[in-house]
Amino acid sequence: MHTTIVRSPRALGPARKSFIRRNLPYLLIAPSVVMLLALIAYPLLFALRSSFYFWNLQIGPEPLQFVGFENYVQAFNAFDFRAALTNTLILSILGTALEFIFGLAIALILLKALPGMNVVRALLILPTTIAPIVVGFLFRYLYDPGGGLLSWVLQSLWLPVPAEGILGSPSTALAAILFVDIWQWTPFFAIVLYASLLAVPDEILEAARLDRASAWTILMRIKLPLIKRTAIIIVMLRFMQIFNTFDTVLVLTRGGPGTSTRTLGYSLYEQGLVNFNIGLVSAMTWITVLIVNVIVALYVFFAFRNEEW
Amino acid sequence: MSRRHTSFNTALTYAAGLLFLAIFVGPILWFIALAIRPAETAFTMPPQLTFEPNLDAFRHILVDPGTNAPQLVNSLIVAIGAVLLNLPFSVPAAYALSRFKLRGKKNIMLWYLGLLMAPPVAFLIPYFILITRIGLQGSYFSMILVLQTLTIPFSVWLMKSFIDEVPVELEEAARVDGARWYTIMLRITLPIVRPGIIVTSMFAFVFAWNNAAFPLVLSSRSTATLPIGTLGYFATSGVTWNYIAAAAVLAMIPPMIIFLVFDRYVVRGLTFGSVKG
Repeated sequence: MHTTIVRSPRALGPARKSFIRRNLPYLLIAPSVVMLLALIAYPLLFALRSSFYFWNLQIGPEPLQFVGFENYVQAFNAFDFRAALTNTLILSILGTALEFIFGLAIALILLKALPGMNVVRALLILPTTIAPIVVGFLFRYLYDPGGGLLSWVLQSLWLPVPAEGILGSPSTALAAILFVDIWQWTPFFAIVLYASLLAVPDEILEAARLDRASAWTILMRIKLPLIKRTAIIIVMLRFMQIFNTFDTVLVLTRGGPGTSTRTLGYSLYEQGLVNFNIGLVSAMTWITVLIVNVIVALYVFFAFRNEEW
Repeated sequence: MSRRHTSFNTALTYAAGLLFLAIFVGPILWFIALAIRPAETAFTMPPQLTFEPNLDAFRHILVDPGTNAPQLVNSLIVAIGAVLLNLPFSVPAAYALSRFKLRGKKNIMLWYLGLLMAPPVAFLIPYFILITRIGLQGSYFSMILVLQTLTIPFSVWLMKSFIDEVPVELEEAARVDGARWYTIMLRITLPIVRPGIIVTSMFAFVFAWNNAAFPLVLSSRSTATLPIGTLGYFATSGVTWNYIAAAAVLAMIPPMIIFLVFDRYVVRGLTFGSVKG
């Protein structure tokens, strides 16, 4: 966080301080915290309780019977849930890494500050502004095997396009989803990294150049270390966002073909809102929440180990 | 560095800039073209670059039969409602986190951030059941309410970064003059930070506007938002791509305008105020 000068409210003398005065900051925060707790705790507790019951809304409106950890066992044994976990990890790790690298490359080019490049920078962010569902439709159109622009471009470059379409083939579908995410979010990394690199003081770079440091050394030894905080924050944000994705998958492939593009988010959607298997989806929810928390905790621990937060 | 070398570099940089636009903006233009081109030219091989533009698809979705016109209004109601409801919760919290000494401030901030990262899809079923039990299914308010899980944490973070920038001396001066804390907050700090509140509200609006997960389960036929409307075309047999594109273009316009107008604040908005652009 930023270092700001924090002043406590005017000292009135302990005896005269009213309850409101003494607890003012907490009272100002309370409404938002209570509201959020109500909205978050309810689903989590509801899911926790439901995860121990056999409960399918297609069979009956109420939980049918207590089954202990059966739903958790079933979730882990389900082939498609394990596939979803693997796919989600592949997408999150590769997506975040590639978006960071491409974004950094673009940011470095934007930094050349040539006249007119500002327009490029301003327009570049457009993909990031679009709703994921709309991006899904956009790429379904581009990938269409019977006349999609991207399919056509690939064919024109003599690259093999599967007969069943890029999204229809198990060997290319996951890569196609990954590409969509990279398309939408590389600009995000580019713009944010550009802004933080812009703040690196010129004197430091000038001094390094006088010492005949190569561009690569300057990038790795000076620029990147100076924007480490920003990098850590945006990588974490992005990783979690991809980890939770489901609407792009819903529009593009519905997790298919087979289980090749199934993600955790889509599995939750399908078990909950298509199969109405409340017990099972509740167990999956808790597994997901625990995984997310472990990843975030480990990441925060290692990334911020030496950081003043 | 020789002059020829430099101009070569310049040319290369411009070429890269054009390439970026082709990759990242090109597909968007191609999709907009889908909304205004004759349906029979949508899937030609090779792709047809020239065509007679028409507004038939927009007429279909907005006027006759105009399936998406009420959804456009619904999207506005839900997104604006979510922003308005969020302000009385997030403004005081952001003010307190910026101005007062608080035990566990770091943890409270991280807690808000953690909520922004929760998987929304995991909450859909519990919300669906809760909202049905209290009889609010299909209402605007149900969507506005659960959207607070996104808008409140987002606004607290972003707004705090704006309040942090208001020099504390002004408040000190008012305090010396004997002003009460609420007078200071309402009459001094908030008016100064009003641009920040507007920027925050705009980006919170985009968040709410682009959200499809909550309306997917909580809306009814009459309260469905625009993204749900595009999904509707998909469910019918024989995908009508021109209509999908037209509805999608409508959904794309407000966020794009907001991002282009508030260009200066985009980095800040996207990183919840943690990176100053």
